[in-house]
Amino acid sequence: MTTSSGNLAQKSVTETAIKIDNLNKWYGDHHVLKDVSLDISEGEIMVVCGPSGSGKSTLIRSLNHLEEYQEGVVSVFGQPLSRDRQSHKIIHQTMGMVFQNFNLFPHLTVLQNCTLGLTWLRKMSERDADKMVMRLLDRVGIAHLATRYPGQLSGGQQQRVAISRSLAMEPKIMLFDEPTSALDPEMVKEVLDVMIDLAKTGMTMVCVTHEMQFARQVADRVVFMADGEIIEVGPPEQVLVNPQWDRTREFLQHVL
Amino acid sequence: MDDLNVKNQPALKQFVPTPPRPPRKSERGILGTIRHRCFNSIGNSLLTLCVATVLFYLVKHVLDWAVFNAVFIADNRRQCMDISPDGACWAGVISWFNGLIYGRFPVDEQWRVNIGVLLGLVWLLPLMSKRIALRNFILLSWIGLYPFVGAYLFLGGRFGEELGLVHGAMTCLALAFLTIIYANWILSVLGKKGLNELFVPLVSRLVERRIHLLSFVAVWLLVALVIALGLSQVSLEPVPIERWGGLFLTFIIAGFAITMAIPVGVILALGRRSKLPVIHWLSMTVIELVRSVPLITVLFMAVTLLPIFLPADMEFNKLTQVLVAVCLFAGAYMAENIRGGLQAIPKGQYEAAATLGLGYLHTMVLIILPQALRMMIPNIMTSFISLLKDTTLVSIIGLFDIMLMARNIANDKDWVGMHTEPLVMISVLFFILCYSMSQYSLNLEKRLKVDR
Ligand SMILES: Nc1ncnc2c1ncn2[C@@H]1O[C@H](COP(=O)(O)OP(=O)(O)O)[C@@H](O)[C@H]1O
Ligand SMILES: [Mg+2]
Repeated sequence: MTTSSGNLAQKSVTETAIKIDNLNKWYGDHHVLKDVSLDISEGEIMVVCGPSGSGKSTLIRSLNHLEEYQEGVVSVFGQPLSRDRQSHKIIHQTMGMVFQNFNLFPHLTVLQNCTLGLTWLRKMSERDADKMVMRLLDRVGIAHLATRYPGQLSGGQQQRVAISRSLAMEPKIMLFDEPTSALDPEMVKEVLDVMIDLAKTGMTMVCVTHEMQFARQVADRVVFMADGEIIEVGPPEQVLVNPQWDRTREFLQHVL
Repeated sequence: MDDLNVKNQPALKQFVPTPPRPPRKSERGILGTIRHRCFNSIGNSLLTLCVATVLFYLVKHVLDWAVFNAVFIADNRRQCMDISPDGACWAGVISWFNGLIYGRFPVDEQWRVNIGVLLGLVWLLPLMSKRIALRNFILLSWIGLYPFVGAYLFLGGRFGEELGLVHGAMTCLALAFLTIIYANWILSVLGKKGLNELFVPLVSRLVERRIHLLSFVAVWLLVALVIALGLSQVSLEPVPIERWGGLFLTFIIAGFAITMAIPVGVILALGRRSKLPVIHWLSMTVIELVRSVPLITVLFMAVTLLPIFLPADMEFNKLTQVLVAVCLFAGAYMAENIRGGLQAIPKGQYEAAATLGLGYLHTMVLIILPQALRMMIPNIMTSFISLLKDTTLVSIIGLFDIMLMARNIANDKDWVGMHTEPLVMISVLFFILCYSMSQYSLNLEKRLKVDR
């Protein structure tokens, strides 16, 4: 069997990276997150799955304050986050995010997309930033495309640029919101390979994805959500092979 | 077992792509195309003939009037009439040509206008070259520094006296900046380091950080000082603003409006989208107020109302008031253009910028505005073209721009009642200017690949 959930066991440090405590969110009267609580350890690979509209995006976007929530606390490395400057700083220093539709900056080249944060926020010299980004691009196999514009790349290449752009800021936690859903089937693998490589480096990752093969291969735990609630949490072989709930089984029959 | 399987299956066919074939070329020549397009049926042939006849008569009449029967040399309108009663009398336009271009600017000082306008163009020339780093700064310096040079040349006076020392200093800084740009351009063609790097070795011995910036500032100040020493030796004849006029004045007003339209428009547009109620309502009021009244009203308001609001001891000349009015007018219209562009930027761009940690200013300046402005190039160019034409309205409040100068010709006792020729000449001039602008915009669009 190729599946292994031993990643976490091998890691000695198990500090809590993200602690989600009774998160509640409403869009108007629509209750989209219901008392969601979850602990994610440092270095853990957490896969979030569930039917469309179950609140996966809302949950992951609440972590880095792209969405506001009305109740509950999110703590990052022990620091409870609020809406102040200090919290924003913590978020930007620790978390990177990759979106479903890439969200690259179309008027900048691949290289400029990735160095932007380094030169303008870190005040890194252009030469150092270029060097660092080229190393990253090389790692994801697109160094030769550095001078192209996003519009000239395939979806898979664009998503790899987006991952490099986030990694350039040296985050401790990476959030992925359906990174392969907008891709043609033949490009899914090249992005997943990059993510698998990243998982091996000990990065803390929260991935919303329907790629069950990926979940089985690298996830330490899988979260199944439905109707704004977390129904099941556990190692992939438990949640994906022996689900406890009917909703989970029904969902798995659809995606597998 | 595996072997068996392979044997039982028919061998896979190998796919070879069909070689590509070029598209068939049209074999018709020019004549063939004309016949195919214009004479492909009896009805169409008749139509073509009709249109051709009408066109021929139109062109013939226009050419007869404007060229073949026209008079180019005459002393006054009566002579024109005597030589050729049904032709244009260009002699009047020619004798007033200087006035049309420079207004009542003293003839001996007109070289200053030429140099000033030329400097303005020369300043922008490096934008065409890909060799020059930080091209955005050239544009910024043009907006921020060139006006001082222009004002110094056009107004004249002893250096640092009539216009004040601050203005003098800014003029020198501006000219120094221009010198550095060009020196760097030449040096980069020669493959050498820029002039601003000259002091790097010296500066790096004194400080550790911002070496390049400080070296640039040092070189800049040094060059400015040299220029200041030079300029303090010359004294230009003062020319009061009342004597400015003609195409020159039109250029100043339109140039100012076009340059200020985008900065003012961006500020108003961002203000209108602001979440702070005061800023939101203030921007909205300015935009809606200015947009809902004709430019003439804005001009009159500026001339009559502005002095009332401002402290009594602040006295403005008419040109300054007009410039403020035109700037507001252009900004308000541009704000709506830019707001359209801002709305077209997907939310994902803001989110991506936010997750990188970019703040409001960085997000706007680096991510959102460049895209919004690019997207709106056709609309922005249309606004610029109308601005150029609209500025001729300032003649109504008595600035001697090209329009008023043209109408003045009819009041000259030698050329009484001559209206048509000057207006035709202005039309041709404006057509050339506006058409080049629209061609430039098409070119810019192609270069920036807006419709990617
Ligand atoms: N901007 C919004 N306004 C109102 N309702 C929303 C908005 N965004 C999402 N929702 C609702 O919130 C629920 C959760 O959405 P989402 O987190 O995007 O689900 P998922 O990512 O799991 O498909 C859905 O029922 C959706 O209709
Ligand atoms: Mg989603």
